[in-house]
Amino acid sequence: MTPEEFAERIKAKFEDVEVKITENKLPHPRKRIWIEVSREKFKDVVKFLKEIDPTAQFSIIIAEDRGDRLTAKYHWEMFWEQGESLSVVIGTACSKDDPVLPTITDIFPSSLPYEREVQEFLGIKYEGIPDPRRLFLPDDFPEGVYPLRLDETGITPEMVKNAGHPYRRESK
Amino acid sequence: MNERIEYWVKIPIGPIHPALEEPEKFIITLDGERIINVDVKLGYNLRGLEWIAMRRNWIQVLYLAERICGICSFSHNHTYARAVEEMAGIEVPERAEYIRVIVGELERIHSHLLNLGVVAHSIGYDTVLHLSWLAREKVMDILEDIGGNRVNYAGNMIGGVRRDITEKHKRAILDMIYYYRQEIMPKIEEIFLYDPTVEARLRDSGVIPKRIAIEYSAQGPTARGSGIKKDVRYNEKLGVYPDLGVKPVTPKEFTGVIKGDVFDRMVVRVGELWQSMEIIERALDQMPEGKIKAFPKDNMILFKLKKAEGEGIGRYEAPRGETIHYVRAEPGRDGPAKWKMREPTFPNLFAVARALVGEQLADVPVAIASIDPCLSCTDRVAVIDAETGRKRILTEVDLLKESIKKTKEINPNIKAKPEKIGIGRCIL
Repeated sequence: MTPEEFAERIKAKFEDVEVKITENKLPHPRKRIWIEVSREKFKDVVKFLKEIDPTAQFSIIIAEDRGDRLTAKYHWEMFWEQGESLSVVIGTACSKDDPVLPTITDIFPSSLPYEREVQEFLGIKYEGIPDPRRLFLPDDFPEGVYPLRLDETGITPEMVKNAGHPYRRESK
Repeated sequence: MNERIEYWVKIPIGPIHPALEEPEKFIITLDGERIINVDVKLGYNLRGLEWIAMRRNWIQVLYLAERICGICSFSHNHTYARAVEEMAGIEVPERAEYIRVIVGELERIHSHLLNLGVVAHSIGYDTVLHLSWLAREKVMDILEDIGGNRVNYAGNMIGGVRRDITEKHKRAILDMIYYYRQEIMPKIEEIFLYDPTVEARLRDSGVIPKRIAIEYSAQGPTARGSGIKKDVRYNEKLGVYPDLGVKPVTPKEFTGVIKGDVFDRMVVRVGELWQSMEIIERALDQMPEGKIKAFPKDNMILFKLKKAEGEGIGRYEAPRGETIHYVRAEPGRDGPAKWKMREPTFPNLFAVARALVGEQLADVPVAIASIDPCLSCTDRVAVIDAETGRKRILTEVDLLKESIKKTKEINPNIKAKPEKIGIGRCIL
């Protein structure tokens, strides 16, 4: 399965999905597939991914505060058995007013620790997650503070000590 | 380590002391001697690197990434550089690609040697641990010659590498490979492939069936030990690795059978030691002349990246498995708007926790050590008796006692005592 074939199958199955293929001109060219999908369609796309390749390997969730919304990108390695695998990223988003995304632990059990991590660091709630406990933060870390948020619910200056030599405090 | 925000709060140091080993906690529920549930608690080594990186420029994050771990510092530094290069469309000179391969494989050699020693220690073979520490000195000496430091070599730069490999280095590396092939590898194979006590002790311990390894996304030797032919250097066609003949090593090539147990994971590491030496030899032979950096000066990198926009992913097969980094750039920023990384231990911990269900308590140390966690030894294991609900805390020494006792049942001549290693994997 080539990236182009995979992209065609996704587009044929889901109409309102954005698919983009980027190429990295390493000594050996390497392509990556980037998919953007709405929150409502997200789980269906993930199920389809599993149908296409039952051995797909889930890698990581990259969640981010983009100011007006919270985004989450998921990476899979697919078709590793064919030698050159497919690298697939599926991104989705939710607003800060309603920070809920569907869990995919019923499809990919290995995603559970990542969802727990995203819940505590970005404040995205995973609907249907089987084990919502904290994974990294201390038990007495204050509720309602999400360390990687960039707004008032993030880390306040008083919470920080010895964060390193004061290189450029503001990077903007 | 999966690094997160550091928040200063008064947490009792208690039994977990930062200077000793690496802290994580497993909560094990027993029914008699049988394990019926394993829970993993992380976060004791949380340092807030992602948050700190948002306040650093692109080059400073390179050094930050390197300090995620002392054993695989190159892997993180390299993977981050790859992510930035992909995002910005920077091409790396070919000679630099070969140097990256050589340094990466040297790192794999010393990491695997150490893990072989740690696993041997966890079943009572302490002399093997001493042998592995002795052997890896040679590699670390060479890494120090090349990069100036035995642990954090700081060799990568965005767009290339900072240090070249000279004829002198080449000779030293080839001498090292010769020494390993003649002196070290025969000893290691004698212990891990042919010693009947080791085989009896490691066989059928910590079995991770292929189905569970796939379902829980096991990585690296942990996955290949279960028969999964997956290796980022091979599947990603990374750098110049396709020209060097790298392919996933599974136990089938050595023993003809795959069970997914601790023994198989060790066999994979032995096989990868051999492969790494071959790769280094080929790389030294094929390495072309030329530049080692895309940008002669660092400020040119920062200038270019200031205007960059977009996302990039870097993936690499670290000694323990897939390492993945992601960066996103916004025009006008000096550094990444977002940096995210994940090391292979994270999924492997949950895969082995799942696989330990049904095993014996005595197999816990060796099963965990065999996935080569970058949380090296179990600092604390809480055991809950399923019948009485009573909870008791076992230390590493307690667990080692159980493990060594089991080895002695197989071979009464084993004289080991249960002692901690005493040096944390990241304190070097």
